[in-house]
Amino acid sequence: MTIFVGGFVFQFDGFQKKAAETMKHAHGTTTLAFIFKEGVIVAADSRASMGGYISSQSVKKIIEINPYMLGTMAGGAADCQFWHRNLGIKCRLHELANKRRISVTGASKLLANILYSYRGMGLSIGTMIAGWDETGPGLYYVDSEGGRLKGKRFSVGSGSPYAYGVLDDGYRFDMSVEEAAELARRAIYHATFRDGASGGVASVYYVGPDGWKKLSGDDVGELHYKYYPAVVEQEMAEVTIA
Amino acid sequence: MGSRWSPYDNNGGTCVAIAGSDYCVIAADTRMSTGYSILTRDYSKICKLADKAVMASSGFQADVRALQKNLAAKHLTYQHQHNKQMSCPAMAHLLSNTLYYKRFFPYYSFNVLGGLDNEGKGCVYTYDAVGSYERVGYSTQGSGSSLIMPVLDNQLKSPSPLLLPAKDAVTPLSESDAVDLVKDVFASATERDIYTGDAVEIVVINAGGIRRESIDLRKD
Amino acid sequence: MSIFEYNGSAIVAMVGKNCFAIASDRRLGVQLQTVATDFQRIYKIHDKLYIGLAGLATDAQTLHQRLVFRHNLYQLREERNMKPETFASLVSAVLYEKRFGPYFCQPVIAGLGEKDEPFICTMDSIGANENANVIGIELAKDFVVGGTASESLYGACESMYKPNMEPDELFETISQALLASVDRDCLSGWGGHVIVVTPTEVTERKLKGRMD
Repeated sequence: MTIFVGGFVFQFDGFQKKAAETMKHAHGTTTLAFIFKEGVIVAADSRASMGGYISSQSVKKIIEINPYMLGTMAGGAADCQFWHRNLGIKCRLHELANKRRISVTGASKLLANILYSYRGMGLSIGTMIAGWDETGPGLYYVDSEGGRLKGKRFSVGSGSPYAYGVLDDGYRFDMSVEEAAELARRAIYHATFRDGASGGVASVYYVGPDGWKKLSGDDVGELHYKYYPAVVEQEMAEVTIA
Repeated sequence: MGSRWSPYDNNGGTCVAIAGSDYCVIAADTRMSTGYSILTRDYSKICKLADKAVMASSGFQADVRALQKNLAAKHLTYQHQHNKQMSCPAMAHLLSNTLYYKRFFPYYSFNVLGGLDNEGKGCVYTYDAVGSYERVGYSTQGSGSSLIMPVLDNQLKSPSPLLLPAKDAVTPLSESDAVDLVKDVFASATERDIYTGDAVEIVVINAGGIRRESIDLRKD
Repeated sequence: MSIFEYNGSAIVAMVGKNCFAIASDRRLGVQLQTVATDFQRIYKIHDKLYIGLAGLATDAQTLHQRLVFRHNLYQLREERNMKPETFASLVSAVLYEKRFGPYFCQPVIAGLGEKDEPFICTMDSIGANENANVIGIELAKDFVVGGTASESLYGACESMYKPNMEPDELFETISQALLASVDRDCLSGWGGHVIVVTPTEVTERKLKGRMD
């Protein structure tokens, strides 16, 4: 979700423009998360790109804030990494001060408030905070424009339209964990297929009453041929002219 | 009609780092350019930050120097407080925070940090200008990176660390093979990238300490 | 984003021992959106002459049609096929006709000449020729590249290429170079297409690649 909306507070003179360019490490992404009967599923691809060049195929876009909470990253890589780390510290301090874990609602609001205070200064973050607290599963979408939404189903990033297509089609509240994980994996795979800025590894996490657990990490280069083995046989047929 | 003054320049240059099971190779060319001009043919882009952490940086060398001095100062303070050298993973985190501290007026520097981790395994950290970082098996940064990266992928491609079930992701190369590969990719990049050339400085870190060598490249 | 990068492409041609290979990716996209994964970027002019057109796909198709038309006229008048050198001059001239409203294409031409000597060349979108004939000319180059993955391809080819490869080794080299390069480019990939031409045989293969 890399919206560099205009209307910066500062005038964009030469060096600030150049400064902004260096941060174009902002990447196209596909991330998704949804709440279902058993808890929350969080999934993401792992590609980072600068313009057309793929700068990494192994980015960890699902950030482990604490054993019960995950954050996803879309937008500027440094912005997301730094502020999630910062959020992790704040959550731990809350825990020490109050002798109980922070709620997902509270954590997402901590982040949203920070981001709101930097609004207009060019931060680029589109994140989902997912976790399990005293009230059960929680899921919030937070972005650097100051937005904070509670919801059951989100997808963020340049590949999100494709992921939503699969997700909305296959979603049911009463899925099993395995079904939910497969849905998330398929949604990420389809997004990486259609979206040039998404790819690499499809990671799937599950957050339940006992905290998060990584369920799978599959190279989508191999997933494609797992989902569509028949097409391959045909395409690989050798043609010899003359 | 002069163009507006800019606090940034791009001095070009290419850095490469490869981590092995018990060593780490960090290399960079020694050319420093501005526009079509070569400022010097003998400028080291590699800086020793601690006993087991070495950084190679391309981009704007004035910012790089400022960054190196900043890190050196912080490391000195650390040594006084803890009476030991900083580990490579700790230095990696410090570098990230140092870069992000200047988020709204960044250091125009593209860094790779290489060294040995607490278990003595080789490690490479790769950064963007504002401090997002990732631990990888190999990396390249700078003007020739887009030419070198596909070759490293082809020769070293290791299973992604994100895979589950996990697969062993250590580069299978021996130390001398890794050094030879670095020489090869620099020779290739020099053919097509005008900002890379003159010589490549190679630093090898292993249990025995730090070793430096230099190989000549094309000077045109 | 440049109009040359609108659809995404990667093309490379290499010279071997009495043979050549030309390869491309298979993606057609609209910016980051992948529309097709079986797109043809390499066109056959005659049995021993191929042209790959990187850049804007619509212009590539139109340009190809015009080139085929001109080659057909040549065949009717001369009763023979064009030499690769002649065809390169033709492409250059056709492109320069549109000097102030160019086709947004970078051609990569590969062929076998009269004595079956390999010829490869590329040029910019208005026909400035960058000749690369291995046999005879001193300023010999041995591979040419084009498209959004061209930088990656330069690096990969520079490291992997060696002179006088036999057809089998040439196929292996060009395929490795192509796949390694498109895997670092968002806008190209989704499989590969390789054609190896020797004086007696044309071998065409589809490569299985990463589909992300």
